[in-house]
Amino acid sequence: MDLAKEMTKEQAVLDSMKNSYNHAVADSFSTTSSKSLLNLESLEFPTTKVEYWKYTRTGQIANKAWKFGNLDNIDLPENLPVAKYRMVFVNGHFDTQRSTLPQVEGLTILPFSKSEVQNSIAQSEEDIFRAWNTAMPQDGYFISLAKNKAVEEPLQIVFLYSGENTISQPRSFVELAENSELKISEFHIHSSGSLAFANAHSEVIVGDNSHLKMDIVQHGSEKGFHFHETFGEQGKNCTYTQNTFTLSGNWTRNNSTIRLKDEHSECNLNGFYIPNLKEHIDNHTIIDHEKPNCESNELYRGVLLDKSTGVFNGKVYVRQDAQKTNAFQSNGNIIVSDTATMNSKPELEIYADDVKCSHGSTTGQLDDEAVFYLMARGLSKENARKLLINAFAEDVLEKLVNEDLREIIEATIQTKLA
Amino acid sequence: MLNIKDLHASIEGKEILKGLSLEVKPGEVHAIMGPNGSGKSTLASVLAGNEDFEVTSGSVDFLGNDLLELGPDERSHAGVFLAFQYPVEIPGVSNINFLKAAINERREALGEEPITAKEFLKQVKEKASLVELDNKLTNRSVNEGFSGGEKKRNEIFQMAMLEPKLAILDETDSGLDIDALRIVANGVNQLRSKERSFVVVTHYQRLLDHIVPDFVHVLYDGKIVKTGGKELALELEEKGYDWIKKEADAVTA
Repeated sequence: MDLAKEMTKEQAVLDSMKNSYNHAVADSFSTTSSKSLLNLESLEFPTTKVEYWKYTRTGQIANKAWKFGNLDNIDLPENLPVAKYRMVFVNGHFDTQRSTLPQVEGLTILPFSKSEVQNSIAQSEEDIFRAWNTAMPQDGYFISLAKNKAVEEPLQIVFLYSGENTISQPRSFVELAENSELKISEFHIHSSGSLAFANAHSEVIVGDNSHLKMDIVQHGSEKGFHFHETFGEQGKNCTYTQNTFTLSGNWTRNNSTIRLKDEHSECNLNGFYIPNLKEHIDNHTIIDHEKPNCESNELYRGVLLDKSTGVFNGKVYVRQDAQKTNAFQSNGNIIVSDTATMNSKPELEIYADDVKCSHGSTTGQLDDEAVFYLMARGLSKENARKLLINAFAEDVLEKLVNEDLREIIEATIQTKLA
Repeated sequence: MLNIKDLHASIEGKEILKGLSLEVKPGEVHAIMGPNGSGKSTLASVLAGNEDFEVTSGSVDFLGNDLLELGPDERSHAGVFLAFQYPVEIPGVSNINFLKAAINERREALGEEPITAKEFLKQVKEKASLVELDNKLTNRSVNEGFSGGEKKRNEIFQMAMLEPKLAILDETDSGLDIDALRIVANGVNQLRSKERSFVVVTHYQRLLDHIVPDFVHVLYDGKIVKTGGKELALELEEKGYDWIKKEADAVTA
C-alpha cells in the first residue's frame, strides 16, 4: 500500500469539516484561524496515554465524518426559565428571530462573527479540539461591558444542538471592563436522539473590580458528545463564579482554565453532575494563582448511577509570587450503583511558602445509617435516598446565581432518581 | 401490644440475643437494664428494623402484626418509634421538612389526608416546647452541629410529633447532664398515656428516678434473667451486676 496516499483519521475528519463549513470568519479573527488550521496538520487525537485525557476516550469522536449543521427549527425546551434577554444559537448559528437582545448603554452584545476579537487567550493550541474551534469558529456570544456598568437582569444564552454527525463550534467571548457586573445563564441542549458533537469554546476576561457570575446547564443526548472549554483571565479585586450543572449526556468533557493575574481576586468554580446509564462526565479545572492575596474555591459534587463514569481533575498552581493565596478544593461523589466508576484527582503545585491550600476528595456510597434513621421515622427507602441525594446536590445548588434555574435542575435530578 | 418470644438475633454471625422474651401491655413502661454488651441496644435496633442485625429465630408480635416482616418505615407507620442512642447528623436535610415528609408518608400509608401547614406548625410549636427545643434548632439540618443534649431532645421532639404507640428509648440518658436529663425525662413523662407504651433501655438507674417504670428487666448475655419492679433498679445501682451474673451463670452451668 502506498502510505503517502493513506489519509490519517485526523485529515479525514478535518476534510469533512472543511467541506461543510458554512460560516464567515470575522476579518479580525482570520489570522488566528489560519494559524490554527495550519497547526491542525500536525495535531492528533489525544489517547488515554496522555495524562490530560487519561480517563476520557475520544475514539468515538475521531471516527466520525462530522459535518457542520444548519439553523434548524428546533423547539426551545418547555421548562426553560422565562428571560427578559435571550440569545439563541442553533448548531452554531445565531437565531436572530428567537433572540431578544438588551438595549443597555455600555453593553455590546453580538454574535461572535460580528465581533472584532483578534486573538485567543488560550495559551496553547496543543489540543486538537481547541484548534478545530479556533480554525473554524461558529457563533457564540460576544459580550463587552463598559466601565462602571452593572446589568442586573441575567442574560440567558441557549445553545441548541441537533442532527446526525453534526458538529457545532460555538465560540464565545466576554469582557468586563473595570468596575462592572454581569450575570449569565447558559444552556447547552442536545436534541433527544441526535448525534451531535458540540465543541464549544468560551473566553472570559474579568477586569479590575468587576464581577462575572455564570450558571451553565448542560443537557446532552443519549448519543451525542459535548466538549466545553473555558479560558479565563482575572484582573485585580474581581470575582469570577462559574457553576456547571451537567444533567445528562452520553459524553461530556469540561475544561476550565482560569488565571488569576492580579491581586485580591476570587475565582469560584463549582459543578454538579448526575450521570446515569453509560454516561460519561469529565470535569478538568486549572486555577493558576499568579499573584498574591487571591482566593479560589472549587466545589464539585457528583451522583453516579447505573454504569456511568465520572472524572474530576482539579489542578491548582500557586506561583512563587502568589503569597497569601487561599485555595480550597473539594470533590465529593456518591456512587449509587455497584457498577458506576469515579476517578478523582486533585493536583496542587505550590511554589510559594505562605499559602493556605486544601483539597478533599471523597467517593462513597450513601450513608446507610442516615437511610435507616430516616426510614425509622417513616420515610420509604426510596424517599430517604432521594432526600439524602437532594441534600448532597443542594451544596452546589445553593451556589446558583440565577435561582430560576433551580426548577429545571431539580426536575432532572428527580427523573434520574426515579 | 408487644409480644417478643424467644428472640435470637446476630450481627456478622455473632449471636447477641439468645432467646429473649418480653411482653409489653398498653400504657406500661418497661425498663431494660444490664451490663455493657448484654444486648440492650441490639434489642432496640432489632425492634426498629435495623438490617445490620439478622433475626435467626423467634417472633415479635406488635398489635397483631408480625413486626419482623415489616420494614423500618412500615414499623414507624404501625406506631413504633426508636429514639436513637446516637442520633445521626444529616447535613442539608432540614429537620422540619423531613419531619413533615415523615408524617405525611405515614398518613398516606394509613389512608389519611396530608397534614395542613397550619396544623403542622402548631404542632411543631407545641411539641418543641415539651423538650424546650429552640425554634432555631427545629429549622436546622437534622442534628447537625447539635450538642449531645440537643440531639436527645430532638429525638423526643420527633417522638412527640409522630405520636407512636410504642416508644423505644435507647440509652437516651447517655451523655446527658442532670439538667438535660430532667428536660428529656419531663418530655417523656408528658407523653405517657394509657395507650402509649415505653421500652426504656438504660445502663443507669438515674434516668428511672425521672421516668418511673412499671417493670425493670435485667438483660444479660442476650436473655432477660431477672424481672422486678422499680425497686430492682435501685438494688442494681447499689449492688452492681455481679450478683445477677453469678445467679444467671449458676443457672446455665
